[in-house]
Amino acid sequence: MRRFFYAKLAWSNIRKNARMYIPYMLTFAGTVMMYEIMQALSMNKSMLTVSGGASAQMVMNLGSWVIAIFAVVFLFYTNSFLIKRRKKEFGLFNILGMEKRHLAKMVLWESIYSYVGSMAAGLLGGILLSRLAYLAVERILQINIFMKYEMPPKAIWATIPLFGIIALINLANTLFQIRLSKPVELLKGSEVGEKEPKTKWILTLIGVICLGIGYYLAATVENPVTALMLFFVAVILVIVGTYALFTAGSIAILKMMRRSKKFYYKPNHFISVSGMMYRMKQNAAGLASICVLSTGVLILISSTICLYLGTEDTIRIQNPRNIAVSVQDADENSRDAVQKMVHSMLEKHAVEAKEELSYFSDTYVLKQEEGRLTAFPNQSQVNYDQASVIQCIMLKDYNRLAGTEEQLEPGQVLLYGTGDEIGEDSIQIADTVYRIKEHLKSFPIPQGMEEAITNTYYLVMPNQEAVEQMAAQLLQSEPDSGIQSEWVYYYGVDLTAESDVQIEMTKELRAAFDASGIEGAVHGAAISRSSTTSTFGGFLFLGIFLGILFLMGTVLIIYYKQISEGYDDRERYQIMQKVGMSRREVRKSIRSQVLTVFYMPLVMAGIHILFAFNMIKKILNMFGLFNIQLFILCTAGTIVLFAILYCLVYAVTAKAYYKIIS
Amino acid sequence: MAVLEVHNLKKIFIPRFGGNQVQALKDVSFSVEEGEYVAIMGESGAGKTTLLNILAALDKPTSGEVLLEGKNIVNLKEKEISAFRRNHLGFVFQDFNLLDTFSLKDNIFLPLVLSGKGYAEMNSRMQPIAKKLGITELLEKYPYEVSGGQKQRAAVARALITNPQLVLADEPTGALDSKATDGLLRLFNEINEDGQTILMVTHSVKAASHAKRVLFIKDGEVFHQIYRANASEEEMYQKISDTLTVIATGGEHNA
Repeated sequence: MRRFFYAKLAWSNIRKNARMYIPYMLTFAGTVMMYEIMQALSMNKSMLTVSGGASAQMVMNLGSWVIAIFAVVFLFYTNSFLIKRRKKEFGLFNILGMEKRHLAKMVLWESIYSYVGSMAAGLLGGILLSRLAYLAVERILQINIFMKYEMPPKAIWATIPLFGIIALINLANTLFQIRLSKPVELLKGSEVGEKEPKTKWILTLIGVICLGIGYYLAATVENPVTALMLFFVAVILVIVGTYALFTAGSIAILKMMRRSKKFYYKPNHFISVSGMMYRMKQNAAGLASICVLSTGVLILISSTICLYLGTEDTIRIQNPRNIAVSVQDADENSRDAVQKMVHSMLEKHAVEAKEELSYFSDTYVLKQEEGRLTAFPNQSQVNYDQASVIQCIMLKDYNRLAGTEEQLEPGQVLLYGTGDEIGEDSIQIADTVYRIKEHLKSFPIPQGMEEAITNTYYLVMPNQEAVEQMAAQLLQSEPDSGIQSEWVYYYGVDLTAESDVQIEMTKELRAAFDASGIEGAVHGAAISRSSTTSTFGGFLFLGIFLGILFLMGTVLIIYYKQISEGYDDRERYQIMQKVGMSRREVRKSIRSQVLTVFYMPLVMAGIHILFAFNMIKKILNMFGLFNIQLFILCTAGTIVLFAILYCLVYAVTAKAYYKIIS
Repeated sequence: MAVLEVHNLKKIFIPRFGGNQVQALKDVSFSVEEGEYVAIMGESGAGKTTLLNILAALDKPTSGEVLLEGKNIVNLKEKEISAFRRNHLGFVFQDFNLLDTFSLKDNIFLPLVLSGKGYAEMNSRMQPIAKKLGITELLEKYPYEVSGGQKQRAAVARALITNPQLVLADEPTGALDSKATDGLLRLFNEINEDGQTILMVTHSVKAASHAKRVLFIKDGEVFHQIYRANASEEEMYQKISDTLTVIATGGEHNA
């Protein structure tokens, strides 16, 4: 009988603390479930048979790492909260005659129950919901073949130990906390820490600086490559800044408010400034976490949705024509051969071609310095912040494509630029100054990825010799650069054929091309569509998946925050009434404080997003997405949706809160 | 002139989920003159706390009236009650009820801030009180930094700063050690000598023996009262003890 005493006690403890234990267990189970599903997806073999499936799976694999890290941090945080709230209970048991080892036994049982319970629920939920996840993946990745539903035992075996370790860490922390404390302290557990917070000016300053630099980086970055490299730096700076400002900055501001006697000793300010100080001290870390998580959710979801919806744009930018051949080191012979190859292919499949695009170009990556372009000393060490891409086109190709009859004298060029303005009347390349006859307003060759990522200038030159002469001069001025003229011939057409026919044609053309021995590549939009869809679909799925996880975290933090505040506020609420505030005044004051605390992270997240916008936009450019309107729409939509959800969570948790204080 | 008049106060608690009704106050009448120092005694469950809550306008009686300076506070509207409470009454509680988020000074200022007074006025009102209560040095400290007796003195300062017609004290010595208790009771005598009317609810004989008059409540009624007249504290103490013995052993009703 006595053997089961602690087991029973533990069980009744969990039941009595249901208000706090159930959300913890639900979160635990939820995280288990998500990790299990992610693992299963990243192990699913049938996904590998889909084009682009491998990259999607890599994304999933990355996702399970993110979930694992999140799970450790988050479940630890939640458990610490539970212990803090339960210290009084432990103290009572201690005083009633339980030794610490008895407490430990009890806590061990509790951990076993909660681990087994939430693990079982999570695994089961994972198995059930994985079907839904598979369906979602199929839909999002637009995979038409039937994916095999399976929950690989390996996924389960990967899940159990990870969360077992987390449970052990939490148990160890609990035991450590019990061991550390004296009964009287245990009894007072949740009441300590009510001292007035100190102003930490240094931390505030660090916060301002970190946030400032983070914002500055994000808002001013111009080059997508740099944006991608600086993204994580900016993220870390902003996270540090957020935590510092929520914890130290808020207190500093409140103290400044208090110092002004005129401002402070007004009925509203008096109560709310001191109340807020107390609240911020208790909740700053939690609020900062909510803010960071919310920002994460918003960025993840808005950018992945945007990428996914913009897949067609991306494909068109990467593939200006449905089917295309680009030939390296091209001349008129290879041009004719390639055209012939494509035409025979079209005839064979009885497919009509539209929008023929055919031109020679010669491309240079040059260093741009104050209107002068020179070769980089070493072509393998290109600084993308200074780089400009010069694409040289011959006048005859330009006239043919644009349907014009321009004339150029020697030393004269037509200029079309996608980047910064360069040269008013002339442009200097190496030591030669070229006169710009006209700044073109549009250009007949569609701009691809690189053009959008770097400053790109199309230079229409009188003839082939003029270009080659320019290359020779560049080499002369930087002999180590190895720069030389290399003409690339592009030939592409749009097709009036179904996607599978297009894929077939691309493959056949590729084979014919390889057999001909001409150096170059065949591009098929239909083929890259399926792989792009898989990759972006993978991102989207991951974005939504992690978004849900982070949201779950946010909700839980909010819930616990409300509960803990509720217990703390109850007493203050009663005192204030006794000292002469009406019930309504107290309610109003508390309500405004709760609302401030509640919406602060959301507003801050909004500001983060605002500053991040430029950076994310540039990163999306890297993925070939240039539709800014779409991005704005996705971001705005996500924010609105999130705000609605957030308010809903508030409404629900506020009920729990008011139940406690009244 | 009577500061407080209580007529036929009756309070019945009706449990929310059925069950027996509880009559906390049967029929209580008494009055407190200006400058008086009255203690109300009674055992647990005698109705002391209910009575005090009604006097503080924190609760409403089932019937009867409470006149503070001739004004019936039972009929006050919810809106007026808090302003009334803060302008006419001062409170001292057993557990001090100081807010941890405020320094002692701000705790003392609280009722005045709520009434919209300026800092200069608040400060000039507080200085003499703080000096009298010996807490001038402690004003910038926080409640968790000072002792129980010091906290209670801050609470007294908060009660006095509004110049209330009546100070209501609910077991003010309940959480204090004997030395702090002596100090506080001496303080109450001093402020009473300055003309402050005090009504104290207690079941400490020692605390009650400092009052000028002691009312005994039993089973929701005023059972008996003792006037101090010229008796010393020791004699008063003896009288109260005797009365309590009589009550405990079931003496006759002779109020």
